[in-house]
Amino acid sequence: MKPQVKVLIIAAAVVLMAGSLVAETLQQFDSVQGRSFHADLYADNACDSCHVNAEPEAYPPDFVCLDCHDSDELVQATARPEEDKWQNPHNNMHYAKDVPCMECHGEHSERKVLCAGCHFFDYPNFKK
Amino acid sequence: MGNDKEYQADRRKFLVSMGLAGAATIAAPALKTMAADSSTVWAEEHEIVIIGSGFSGLAAAIEAKKLGAKDVVVYDKMPYFGGNSTYNGGLFAVPNSPLQKEKGIKDSPEIMAADQLKAGRGVADKELLLHVAEHAGEALQMSLDAGSEYFPYLQQLGGHSVPRTYQTTVASGGGIIRPLVEQCRKIGVKLVTRAKFDTLIFDDDGKVIGAKMLMGHYFGRDQEGTPMNIKTKRGILVATGGFARNINLRQAQDPTLTEEVTSTNPPSATGEALLEMFKIGAIPVHMAYIQTGPWASPDEDGFGYVSNYSIYNFAHSISIYIKTGKRFMNEIADRKTRADAQLSCRDDNGDPLPPITITSYIHAKEHPTMKKVLKYGVGWKFETIEEVAARFNVPLEPLKAQIKEYNGYVKSGVDEQFGKPMEKAKGKFIEAPFVVVRNWPKVHYCQGGVKIDVQARVINSADWKPIPGLYAAGEVTGGVHGVSRLGSCSIPDCMVMGMTAARTIMKS
Ligand SMILES: Cc1cc2nc3c(=O)[nH]c(=O)nc-3n(C[C@H](O)[C@H](O)[C@H](O)COP(=O)(O)OP(=O)(O)OC[C@H]3O[C@@H](n4cnc5c(N)ncnc54)[C@H](O)[C@@H]3O)c2cc1C
Repeated sequence: MKPQVKVLIIAAAVVLMAGSLVAETLQQFDSVQGRSFHADLYADNACDSCHVNAEPEAYPPDFVCLDCHDSDELVQATARPEEDKWQNPHNNMHYAKDVPCMECHGEHSERKVLCAGCHFFDYPNFKK
Repeated sequence: MGNDKEYQADRRKFLVSMGLAGAATIAAPALKTMAADSSTVWAEEHEIVIIGSGFSGLAAAIEAKKLGAKDVVVYDKMPYFGGNSTYNGGLFAVPNSPLQKEKGIKDSPEIMAADQLKAGRGVADKELLLHVAEHAGEALQMSLDAGSEYFPYLQQLGGHSVPRTYQTTVASGGGIIRPLVEQCRKIGVKLVTRAKFDTLIFDDDGKVIGAKMLMGHYFGRDQEGTPMNIKTKRGILVATGGFARNINLRQAQDPTLTEEVTSTNPPSATGEALLEMFKIGAIPVHMAYIQTGPWASPDEDGFGYVSNYSIYNFAHSISIYIKTGKRFMNEIADRKTRADAQLSCRDDNGDPLPPITITSYIHAKEHPTMKKVLKYGVGWKFETIEEVAARFNVPLEPLKAQIKEYNGYVKSGVDEQFGKPMEKAKGKFIEAPFVVVRNWPKVHYCQGGVKIDVQARVINSADWKPIPGLYAAGEVTGGVHGVSRLGSCSIPDCMVMGMTAARTIMKS
């Protein structure tokens, strides 16, 4: 079952994160590591919030995160000044909004931002 | 890699079962390959199947739709679109363009092709070059129709005899790919990611009627995907780009291109589709002509910012060999000439000593990349020539003498040192303050690939005739540009040959 409620990312994120939770982002939940923000999902054993099966065998669908997170809000939250506007990771110069979330964000493991292959952009709020 | 092996085993199994079944039924076909029979299970069928979502693939899809195709699908193995094309610098050569007319620049497809033939050192394909140059304006128009935006001026890049190069205002091929992707969505082209092309499927007459794809492919993450046979009514266009990131393959062609030579290409440029076409009989052309970009910088990865910065600025800059304080090349010679000259810049131990390129700040700031170059610390501003000399350890007096000498050429309009065309440097003296970057070549473009004809049909080595149902366009094709491709000539090549493939397919 997928959660029906959209996460209010901007409001929640700005208040919650404010630089404090960085180290806590990846946490141990029984046998798996996961994001601390998703603690509720782990408490409920709700693997099928993201994965197709209750017992995950494969990567989840590419844009499954957007079932809860709002793409436009994400774009807004990471907007950059006009001259750097295409460095917005959620709406960027090369791929616009077409980059699957998990290309930069891991749920069970750390990842690095896709752009780091060529660019030195700093994303201070990025949680590996 | 463990998973790699699993995939190979699976692949062999598949070939064996298909191959044996096929062998019994095939009578004539010359192609030793996978033939479909009644047991072939088709997962899907599409009117036109396009592999690769760069300039070539997307231009073909849009053109095919325009010509009335109902069902066009574009597959890409990556989780996003655009391959090399969206990394690209957005430089687009067009002869007889509206901007040239506006600025009174005399040009023609013949003049452009002649420039390219010269860089190709006698082995470029004149017929293809002329065909591309003649239709480049239509490709530009396709991008404009989709919403691409260009600077209101033209640039004159290395090896071009006149200014004929447009550039997107974002100085990236992303400024073309994003609009083309949107356009595809608008007109109903199906776009499918994580779909890796594996092998071609033929009918008994040797005609390509489908492809085995690996669906749910996770590039670089040990998951090859689930095999699925996709059938096509009209044909398959392979538009999978070059192989600059396949170190074994490029090193087999040119042993100097070891893993120590980095590349401007995205990791997806691995060339397996190219190899599949060779396997079924396509003709390899010019595989060893692999171009390195002389405008790249050792101070950043990939194409970065310095590449576009240097491409714009070389015309009115000087490149200096650190050891002598002297110029060592025509800064806008063709790419191979410059890359070879740079590679010869070494210290006393024979180790690379990347040369510096010096530009007057007032000229450098005309292009938006200068800000990025300075901001990200891959280029530096200096108030005096003494500071430049001290920072890079260049002998000061020879450097000063060189600048004085070069400024004389700016004035006279004739470069007596290296024969650089000075039109674009007119009035642009080298004067403080300066912006300086370092340059060192990176593997950039593969001139080699499969042989096609001027209708984008893949030619068969067995009978020198087109392989029915198989088309190729863009960097995966070979021989077009010869030894060295001129800058900004791939976008027209890819888009025009993609459009050409669509026109041929729709006539078939
Ligand atoms: C950094 C950079 C800057 C450049 N700047 C310029 C410039 O300013 N002007 C210019 O004219 N040229 C430039 N070039 C060259 C030009 O961009 C490329 O030659 C051109 O983009 C190639 O386009 P393409 O359509 O042939 O292939 P690509 O754009 O590379 O697209 C091929 C696609 O096929 C996919 N693919 C590959 N194999 C498979 C498979 N087995 N199954 C499914 N999909 C597959 C890839 O993922 C990729 O998306 C530049 C190149 C680079 C790398």
